[in-house]
Amino acid sequence: MEAASIAHAPGSGPRLPGHPAGAAEHEHHGPPPAHRSSRVDPQLLGMLLFIISEIMIFGAFFTAYFFIRVAQGDQWPAPGTQLPVYPTLVNTCILISSSFTMHWAQTSIKKGNRFGLKAGILTTFLLGVTFLFLQVNEYANIGFAPQDAAQQTIFYSLTGLHGAHVTIGLILLAIVTIRSWRGHYTPDEHRGVEVPGIYWHFVDIMWIVVYFTVYIV
Amino acid sequence: MPNPLRSEGEMFRLLLYVIVVFAVLIAAILIVRAIS
Repeated sequence: MEAASIAHAPGSGPRLPGHPAGAAEHEHHGPPPAHRSSRVDPQLLGMLLFIISEIMIFGAFFTAYFFIRVAQGDQWPAPGTQLPVYPTLVNTCILISSSFTMHWAQTSIKKGNRFGLKAGILTTFLLGVTFLFLQVNEYANIGFAPQDAAQQTIFYSLTGLHGAHVTIGLILLAIVTIRSWRGHYTPDEHRGVEVPGIYWHFVDIMWIVVYFTVYIV
Repeated sequence: MPNPLRSEGEMFRLLLYVIVVFAVLIAAILIVRAIS
């Protein structure tokens, strides 16, 4: 069954004399091999499904947030508390900058620029560490605790959930950084940079939404 | 149809789009608050 499916894989069919490889691929019809998407590579499909599940997790937390603010009509932030809007705006800029350096690393390895890859990925990692350090510093100085009230609970939950994602992203970036220094990745094979890059941009997009809803609105 | 999750480049373009949209929203909110 598997062998039959593989026989129908694009590009694996018989090459006709006088026809280039591309022409043979265009002649392919029928379903892709078993357990594979015809449009997305398995690694990217895994990241796509993972990010969709992540959006649902964040959606659950945002539901709790909107329940407190809209359905309950509670004051935001809680009376007697203040959120550090402008220090966190600086932190937001730091995190957004890290997406640009991530993109720099990715475009560099596509062109075979190993210095750009190493410098970009290391800078991304350091900017991410800075963001997380400032976030922890904010927690230490914000003046309220998660158990004080519902508003405080959801504040720490939403920002903490995002902080957990930054931590996971930093672990991935640390692996990519070490592999970059060891000479891994080439212009043709850089999936190991691309997939963490997609995740990192997702974490940044999610932070923009969290910052907007929690700190600005 | 573009799929922002298919490649890092497309996801980066989605990030740029989100930055622009939320920057406009934040500017609008700050202007409305300053006026009212």
